[in-house]
Amino acid sequence: MSWYQLPATVPWLTIAVLLPLAGALLVLLAPSAARSAIKQLGVLTTVFTLVLVGLLLGGFQQGTAGLQFDEHHSWITNLGISYHLGVDGLSLFLLGLNALLFLLALAVTDPKMPRFKEFVLLMLVLEAATTGVLVALDLILFYVFWEATLVPLYLLIGAWGEGRRIYAAFKFLIYTVLASFFMLVAILALAALNANQTGTLTFDWSTLVQHPVTGSVDVLGIRVGIQVLLFLGFAVAFAVKMPLFPVHTWLPAAYTASPVPTLLIFAGLISKLGAYGFLRFNLSLFPDGTRSAGPYLAGLAVTGILYGALMALVQSDLKRLVAYASMSHLGFIGLGIFTQNLLGVEGALIQMINHGVIIAALFLTVAMIERRAGTRDRTQLRGLEQRAPLFAALFLVVSLAALGLPGLNGFVGEFLIMLGAWSRFLPLAVGAGLGVILAAWYVLRMYQGAFQEAPSQPTAFAEARWTEAGVLAPLLALMVVLGVSPAFFPAAVQATVQAVVSR
Amino acid sequence: MIDLSAVHIDYQTVLPELVVTGTIVVVLLLDLVVPPDRRRWLAVVSVVGLAIALIASIPLWGQHRSAFADTMAGDSFAAFFNVLLLAVTILTVLISPRYLRCVHLDFGEYYALVLSAAAGMMLLAAATSLMTIFLGIELLSLALYVLCSFSRLQEHSQESGLKYLLLGGFATGFLLYGMALIYGATGSTTLLGIRAFVTSSPGTNVLLLLGIGFLSVGLAFKASAAPFHMWTPDVYEGAPTIVTTFMSVATKAAAFAAVGRIFVATLPSLEAQWYVPLALIAVLSMSIGNVVAITQSNLKRLLAYSGIAHAGFIFLGILPGTTDGLAASLFYIAAYAAMNFGAFAVVTALDAKGEHADELTYWTGLFYRRPFLATTMTIFMLSLAGIPPTVGFFAKLFVFQALVTAHLWIPLIVGILTTVISLYYYLRVIVVMVTVPEGAPVEREGVGLPMTVVVGLSALGTTVTGLVPQVFGWALQATRF
Repeated sequence: MSWYQLPATVPWLTIAVLLPLAGALLVLLAPSAARSAIKQLGVLTTVFTLVLVGLLLGGFQQGTAGLQFDEHHSWITNLGISYHLGVDGLSLFLLGLNALLFLLALAVTDPKMPRFKEFVLLMLVLEAATTGVLVALDLILFYVFWEATLVPLYLLIGAWGEGRRIYAAFKFLIYTVLASFFMLVAILALAALNANQTGTLTFDWSTLVQHPVTGSVDVLGIRVGIQVLLFLGFAVAFAVKMPLFPVHTWLPAAYTASPVPTLLIFAGLISKLGAYGFLRFNLSLFPDGTRSAGPYLAGLAVTGILYGALMALVQSDLKRLVAYASMSHLGFIGLGIFTQNLLGVEGALIQMINHGVIIAALFLTVAMIERRAGTRDRTQLRGLEQRAPLFAALFLVVSLAALGLPGLNGFVGEFLIMLGAWSRFLPLAVGAGLGVILAAWYVLRMYQGAFQEAPSQPTAFAEARWTEAGVLAPLLALMVVLGVSPAFFPAAVQATVQAVVSR
Repeated sequence: MIDLSAVHIDYQTVLPELVVTGTIVVVLLLDLVVPPDRRRWLAVVSVVGLAIALIASIPLWGQHRSAFADTMAGDSFAAFFNVLLLAVTILTVLISPRYLRCVHLDFGEYYALVLSAAAGMMLLAAATSLMTIFLGIELLSLALYVLCSFSRLQEHSQESGLKYLLLGGFATGFLLYGMALIYGATGSTTLLGIRAFVTSSPGTNVLLLLGIGFLSVGLAFKASAAPFHMWTPDVYEGAPTIVTTFMSVATKAAAFAAVGRIFVATLPSLEAQWYVPLALIAVLSMSIGNVVAITQSNLKRLLAYSGIAHAGFIFLGILPGTTDGLAASLFYIAAYAAMNFGAFAVVTALDAKGEHADELTYWTGLFYRRPFLATTMTIFMLSLAGIPPTVGFFAKLFVFQALVTAHLWIPLIVGILTTVISLYYYLRVIVVMVTVPEGAPVEREGVGLPMTVVVGLSALGTTVTGLVPQVFGWALQATRF
């Protein structure tokens, strides 16, 4: 079932990847001084991309598990590398989140910032790369897009960040590149093993999925399944990107140093790419490996939930607080993925969208507070509710969504994940429940302290402007819509998730 | 008296070399009559000669000629290297006149020497006998010794040339000694004869293995692979930058042509014996090159160590001893040629103007002074670091793929770890270029049309070569001996 039929001859996904690049090219040709023109170009490009992705969302055949908008061309035939793009339930809504967050990020970018033209250029290149990550279905092509996201991110943090930006950028880069190379080795080994079994060398995801590798090898005298080894190779890359405990240590530095528009993408989207990788590759290609190694990763995910929540409790810097809260919530997604059952994985997929929406909104509001008050230290802020009631209301909705209040979107995903975890890892579900309680603690304390307590002396704090409310509006609308009627979402993805978990 | 009537003389096989050699003579004679302010015409004549040689190389593609009593081959492998080496030489000559004028080294001998080195490299790529291999190496080395010390009044340049000469002579000694031992063990100087001997009498032949060992030392020296790399940073730093640009790319390519012919085409059956020493060379080169490069503050030295590391990566493709692995190495060499030539060309462009342009501090804020050079340099650095979608990534991918297929895990792991280390210093160059300079006046100036074209072409080659699928197919076909 779909709302309408899109012509199959149009390479929709290639256009979706190339559109931001075309915008980047136009920005490149524009003179640096034409700041407002560059801003309009950037925003327009992301609007067009969002419209295109919206078209795809409507034209998507719901209830089918297979790939849609499929594009398959040979590329480096000698090595079995092909150009294969496609969308299914796993990537559909993430594409939407991707397009939306880039639009918001460019909308809040200040044209008066130094080297504005280069900033917009890099953001658009980054959008092309992240779109490519979500639609690429050849393992080498995926890897190319995956790594291509790093350079723009590195430069965006390193050249436009704050504080210890060079250190943060390097730390992020070294962590992710080192981890990615494990994945590269696993990709090469997987293709070689598959070639031994079937006789043809291919890196095509849809072919590899049909022939799961079997067998085991001796590693330092211990018999280990090949699937487990390959699973771990991929898992390292995705765990660092997400990040899962204990490979998260680049996160506070990188999030704190990021400029706000980049931070929206970083926290809202890049972390989802790691989770998406787990679903697309680990669960689909190595179901047996996931069954063996998944429980340990689920354990790490719950450790991350609690660790992130406890760290969030002791932060006074709002940006760091939200960074740790983000990590805590990402743990839920990890837990859901490794339940390997319908409820858990579906919950994780929903929570990926929710998390992107909520974290983006939180970081945006924190940036607004900082711009007004000149500080983002939680202990310095008092009684903002009286000064700016509308702003306080916006912030309250976002906070309540973050702590998982029923009726807002955060609840739906977390509830499904807990249900899924309950039937597979009961102790872990209890641990995750503790995380929900801690979330209520640090979120409400932040709101009460900054907004409700009476100020010792009157402070100036401006009300939310229309432009700011306009930027937050789509995110708030999504929070309410996804929270009140979450049912349309599983309908679109259920068939795909069912296919993934039944492998 | 040697009877030469049985020797098969085949001019088509050596036509590219003949054309280049002929151009040397023409350039030397022209230098006598051309007035000093018209010396750029020597460059024009050189480029024309090189272009004709390049066209003459193309018919060799797909052939399996063996000429001059099996001492020269006219095959796809030779054609591949001829095209690569000639392209690099043409690009070098194109950017030479402006640089030479700026540093007051505009002498006609320069072009003759570059052409001699190119002829030697082409000879080496086509050589299928120990004698012709030696001839090729000597021809290219002698020309480069002089070119390194071409800046007669600069102490640095003299030191560079002398160092290269002394150490190079030492390495040649090893090379010759190895050749003598191989001849003693097999009774043949042609690679065909050696291959026939090795296949007909298996079993450990200590004399032969010793010979191969000494031969590898000589070749590893020319390829600037560790532990025979000590000369590289000093020679690269002291030599005129344009010479460094040329030799860093072309010499390495030629040396690896010989390595490929000897190890993969001639001695694949002895892979078990030569694997460990060659793997050691590869692992040491990658480790030493990438780690020591971190501490360098001089860009020429940094690129020298990076070149040592890349020699290690190219060796990785040789290790499986298969033609598929060699094809990965060939692709790597072509990729390295594009990105490293580009990087050095940018250094040359800056060096022609500024004092100490090779010090990293000079590069602070280059993005605001020379946006074109800085942008292209960024591309070259990303490619050298192996970040997709540049050609450097695909080169590493193909080499790693060859290692995985052959189950050679230890070199693979070292390759991956050192690649991560290398990111640090390549990206540092980019960070330096985007850092805003303190209070320096913003001066924007051109670098001349030839340099713009050459750097642009290198950047284009670095970005699109990996995405064009045919290139790897060519590398595969070039290794079908």
